[in-house]
Amino acid sequence: MADKRSLYQKVWDEHVIVTSPQGEDLLYVDFNLINEGGSFLAFDQMRMEGRKPYRPAQHLAITDHYLPTANRAAGPAGIGNLEIRKVVEMLASNTADFGVPHMNMHHTQQGIAHVVAPELGYAQPGMLITCNDSHTATNGALGALAIPIGASMQLRHVLATQTVWLKRARTMRISVTGTLPEAVTSKDVILGIIAQIGIGGATGYAVEYAGSTVRAMSMEARLTMCNMSIEAGARIGMISPDDTVYQYLNGRVNAPKGADWDRALAYWRTLPTQDDTPFDRELSFDATKLAPMVSWGTSPEDCSPIDGAVPDPALITDADRRRHVDRALEYMQLTPRTRLADIAIDRVFIGSCTNSRIEDLRSAAKVLRGRKAAVPGMVSPGSTTVKRQAEAEGLDAIFRAAGLDWRDAGCSMCNGSNGEILSPGERAASTTNRNFEGRQGRGAMTHIMSPAMVAAAAVTGKLTDVRRITD
Amino acid sequence: MLPFTVLTAVAVPLEIAKIDTGMILPGRFMRRHRRPGHDYSEAFLHDLRFDEKGVPRPEFAMNMPAYAKAEILVTDSDFGCGSSREGAAYAVMDYGLRALIGPSFAEIFYGNCLQNGLLPVTLPEPVVHDLWAQLRNTPGATITIDLPNQQVIAPDGSAHAFEINQLRKERLVLGIDDIDVTLEHRAAIDAFEAKRQQAYPWLPNAAHVLAGH
Ligand code: SF4
Repeated sequence: MADKRSLYQKVWDEHVIVTSPQGEDLLYVDFNLINEGGSFLAFDQMRMEGRKPYRPAQHLAITDHYLPTANRAAGPAGIGNLEIRKVVEMLASNTADFGVPHMNMHHTQQGIAHVVAPELGYAQPGMLITCNDSHTATNGALGALAIPIGASMQLRHVLATQTVWLKRARTMRISVTGTLPEAVTSKDVILGIIAQIGIGGATGYAVEYAGSTVRAMSMEARLTMCNMSIEAGARIGMISPDDTVYQYLNGRVNAPKGADWDRALAYWRTLPTQDDTPFDRELSFDATKLAPMVSWGTSPEDCSPIDGAVPDPALITDADRRRHVDRALEYMQLTPRTRLADIAIDRVFIGSCTNSRIEDLRSAAKVLRGRKAAVPGMVSPGSTTVKRQAEAEGLDAIFRAAGLDWRDAGCSMCNGSNGEILSPGERAASTTNRNFEGRQGRGAMTHIMSPAMVAAAAVTGKLTDVRRITD
Repeated sequence: MLPFTVLTAVAVPLEIAKIDTGMILPGRFMRRHRRPGHDYSEAFLHDLRFDEKGVPRPEFAMNMPAYAKAEILVTDSDFGCGSSREGAAYAVMDYGLRALIGPSFAEIFYGNCLQNGLLPVTLPEPVVHDLWAQLRNTPGATITIDLPNQQVIAPDGSAHAFEINQLRKERLVLGIDDIDVTLEHRAAIDAFEAKRQQAYPWLPNAAHVLAGH
């Protein structure tokens, strides 16, 4: 009989060691990624308790949030802000003390954890992966069960036992069907979904993205989609693996080789969810109706097609929603009914674990080729590997010629942990995933959109429909 | 984790509602290494305990000599609200407190305390107000928290029952934290792992990163 379990259920079942009387499962963690954020709390507590990592080689610590994206030659000593330098140094010394592999700022493959893991084949179908970061679900695009964990107690537990206690989530399938219109990317698809279901729309669910649109997406486009699951409230977002995934993995540093590859492939092919598998909730979207999206407010659900306008709170009947929009427009200094295409910006940012892979950079460079940016901005590739690839393709030259800064890899201006932030009152077009108040700096205003749309905004200095930029 | 059975200790009143995690562990201390002798004890409630110049505020109860050895803090409602700042429970612990008593605690903070061997006790508001009064009248008075019997005994001898999740209670009494509990399944983890490695020998590890790739 065919296996009627979903991908999520299969991978979950595969990792259950024991179940507690309270219904929590003890799950085996195949691989854990660590960033510098709050992870020092876990290491410090382990040191106080005299504990050791259970399987140190099944972890990879990556410095990504606090690293400057310029002037790295001097190492941590070159970081002017002492608080930031301390965080960077703490991860280096903690991982050295505990024998945990660490990609430091000079490593040839350093980058944002969620970009590096798929790129180096650390994320594979059927694996259970954890990371002390809310965007861990990115790795779900390869058919892995990738779970965000807390930076202190949960990380400490994973380090000390290579396991995590969790309760099963309910399941939701989001099917997207149809051919994407011109210039509409997976970023627009996920923004369109979030606009409709809201930032709490998938809370408590493990989401699987399915349907012909998703099947037709490249690996990189899928990573963008799963990345923003948390913006819809879901800690987990996955896509059933298929040839796109297998081709992407083939030959990567940590991907299986030789006879192992054939065995792995045979196993991976047992994982995809069948069409008639039941889910707790099913949603469907028509891709053909989508347009390039931009956000206008202070939550990822506050977004509209670029040919739309800033909403008028007076026309919103739901009182809570009206209050939110009122406040969002006040923060964003926007007048109701302003056409989105009339909003002028001060700066652009291309980067983050959402949109900083080679395809993202190619699509932005395509718009910027031979053009000048009307506003300043920076491009930070998602990893040093992406950076090298982009330079080999001459993309860096296009960004530089347009007047944008070409930087090193890291989270950078996505949340500004490394000090690279917008000034108060500055307005940015950004390829990132969050537009919360103060996300890119106190008083800074963020409009999120796809890389090509950010490039279009750079060219005109306003939010712009990239389809209107023609040769 | 230290076992928690019956604790008789000096209790200090803190009659302020909604002490949030940012007050418990101010942001500027958040990125500080915790090592024995250099932990969050100074950071705990820092801006309430000290003025802008870092001088202890004499009127603040915790700074009075009679409360210097306090291991119990009797707070007001919603202690631990605000961001889920995980270091907050460590700050309470590092200061030397073993238990908190209050009318209510923020949920995430409450869970973090239990996981670290700190006991948050919820009692009805009038009882808490009465405890404050007794502690004010006799600075340095002790309270007894009897966890096995789920009772708080006030300085005046009155006893007050409290509720706690039975699983959490058991772990506190035995002094085993979540890692100890998990490691009781060590044989199962190892067996699972061995089977998994045999079935999927290609699963990645990151050892080569250390070797400098
Ligand atoms: S790029 Fe942004 S969203 Fe992604 S991990 Fe870094 S800070 Fe978080």
